[in-house]
Amino acid sequence: MRLGRTLAFSRRALLQFRHDRRTFAFVLLMPLLMILIFGYTFGGDVKGITIEVVNYDTGLLSDSSHLFPDGFFLARNITQNLDQDVLFLHTNTDGENAQQLVREGKAWAAIIFPLNFTQNFLSSLLTSDVTSSPKIEIYVDGSNPTIVAAIVKEVTQSIQTTLKELSASLNITDVDMPIAIDQTYAYGGGDTRFIDYFAPGVVSFAIMMVTTMITIILFVNERRNGTLQRLLVSPASESEIVVGYALAFAVIGIIQSIVVLVAAILFFDITIVGNIFLALLVILLLAFGHQGLGILLSAGAKNELQAIQFIPLILFPSILLAGLFWPIESIPSYLQPLSYVIPLRYGIDAERSIMLRGWGVGEIWFDIVILVLFAVLTLSASVLLLKRKN
Amino acid sequence: MKVSCFLQKQVSCPSCKIILLCTGAAGETVKVTCPSCGLIGMVRFEQLFDASTKVVEIRNLTKTFGKFTAVDALNLTIFKGEIYGLLGPNGSGKTTIIKMLCGLLRPTAGSAKISGHPLPCKAIMNQVGYMPQDTAIYLDNTVHENLLFFGGIYGMTKEQLKKKEQEMLAFVNLQDWRDSLVSTLSGGMKHRLSLACALIHEPSLVFLDEPTVGVDPELRATFWGFFESLAQKGVTVIITTHYMDEADHCSRVGLLRQGHLIADGRPSELKDKTGTRSLEEAFLSLTGGKSP
Repeated sequence: MRLGRTLAFSRRALLQFRHDRRTFAFVLLMPLLMILIFGYTFGGDVKGITIEVVNYDTGLLSDSSHLFPDGFFLARNITQNLDQDVLFLHTNTDGENAQQLVREGKAWAAIIFPLNFTQNFLSSLLTSDVTSSPKIEIYVDGSNPTIVAAIVKEVTQSIQTTLKELSASLNITDVDMPIAIDQTYAYGGGDTRFIDYFAPGVVSFAIMMVTTMITIILFVNERRNGTLQRLLVSPASESEIVVGYALAFAVIGIIQSIVVLVAAILFFDITIVGNIFLALLVILLLAFGHQGLGILLSAGAKNELQAIQFIPLILFPSILLAGLFWPIESIPSYLQPLSYVIPLRYGIDAERSIMLRGWGVGEIWFDIVILVLFAVLTLSASVLLLKRKN
Repeated sequence: MKVSCFLQKQVSCPSCKIILLCTGAAGETVKVTCPSCGLIGMVRFEQLFDASTKVVEIRNLTKTFGKFTAVDALNLTIFKGEIYGLLGPNGSGKTTIIKMLCGLLRPTAGSAKISGHPLPCKAIMNQVGYMPQDTAIYLDNTVHENLLFFGGIYGMTKEQLKKKEQEMLAFVNLQDWRDSLVSTLSGGMKHRLSLACALIHEPSLVFLDEPTVGVDPELRATFWGFFESLAQKGVTVIITTHYMDEADHCSRVGLLRQGHLIADGRPSELKDKTGTRSLEEAFLSLTGGKSP
């Protein structure tokens, strides 16, 4: 293999993109649009969920206990600790009416604190009698699981905060709290938003789609215009053709990733914890593998129209099975094995581990091995395909 | 090798039957005026070639596609500096022969050698130029980028390319279009560029597959001018065409019909042998009156 000849292929392909402005725009804008659209629509977590709060709790009045000289109102404290950004709280005095509002769709949930909520809490705390522990009643519209999850999460967090404050103010640590969850985050610090989770996926997905599609179309045209015949008659070897194009796609892949990541940082303030160069290496492996796949698929298409028919074939499995939007764990278990044969899965997994967890080669070696295998396999198969003669 | 010697040819005037002696260069057409009756006629001097150097040797070359035999046991030797014309109707096997010689198709039987190297041989390919039937250039690149690319894959250096590009642009008269996108060029310009791309690396053997199909008469004449100047430099040109009138420019022609070589020789030999005035008539006479 000679470098000069190989680079002639890369240079020509890149110059072609420079002239074909529309294709070049597609290459850059497609991932940019994806990150912007998904970032803005999915990116923000749910906010302003209307909640009816009914507080029947009378609390512990001041001077009734030496422990609480200013009185103690547990329900009020929990309500105050709810995140007012996520939940839009509306105070209601009538539990029946609150539930009616939920049924009418005017509120997503009603949170009802029963009478003697504070007293029951204190007595269960002192007697360690769990049966008398108080219950918060949440009447919720279950039609939107995302919202239900947000409400439950907010209430749980608020209870935890309130109990922590209580034990701090009482200066006690050895009393068993009825509920105690101590959540610490291994990665992400608990404020990971959907966009942080999504951005590494978009980078990988965009590279996959653009590389596969452009390669199919480029090679369909090479065949149809007769230029491929010319290349095969020249002293250039089939591997020089494939590697030459691979280098061009490497350049395009890097430009694309930089555009997507800069956009994600500028617009959504995402943080990249890990090594950016390792992230780019994974991108390149994805690009090489999918270029090989594109050349192989191009043999099955006679013209651009037929090439376009491959889009859904590649698009849907990648979107649905590679863990781009939803975790692979959310796929029905009998479909999960399918995701193992989708190379994009390993790319997304590796990118997420690098960007969110800050992992290095030591942790993501398996993903890298799979991606290297995929690239070697598809690229050598495409060299063989080009060598095949009638 | 440049052939610069002058040739002499005896012709008889069609009206007064006087024998004239004409002088001209190989590949040239000269105007002759009959001294007795004043009739003006054209005399062609055929291409010379170096019959001592075999460039292409084809032995029993056969290609079948399923039950269809495209080329049937072809034997042919082509020499240095020849313009060899493969003539025949569509489907007679012309392109299949070219593709086998270029290594794009694998022969079913038989063998072929280029400059003594048995095919397939990647090493000999940098001496071969190929212009496929399709225009086969990159539409989304400029004229300059196409020439640079095709030169580049033949391992030409920057300096070589710089010099050669100017020469080729002048050769096909595209100097003013160097930085134009190929997609904006006319069909004839694309054809000229395609030819330049096949020749930029100075091949000693050129395969031209129907280079004049869909080309207007003026450009066809220009093309034949190119081919003859190449042959004069010692380049071997193998060309396919189904225009019989073009074949008069060839030093030798092979008439193909259904994969068989039915005749092979100088255009004048074929005409003399069949006693006809044009190659078209010669072809019809050889095929027993069936149209090509």
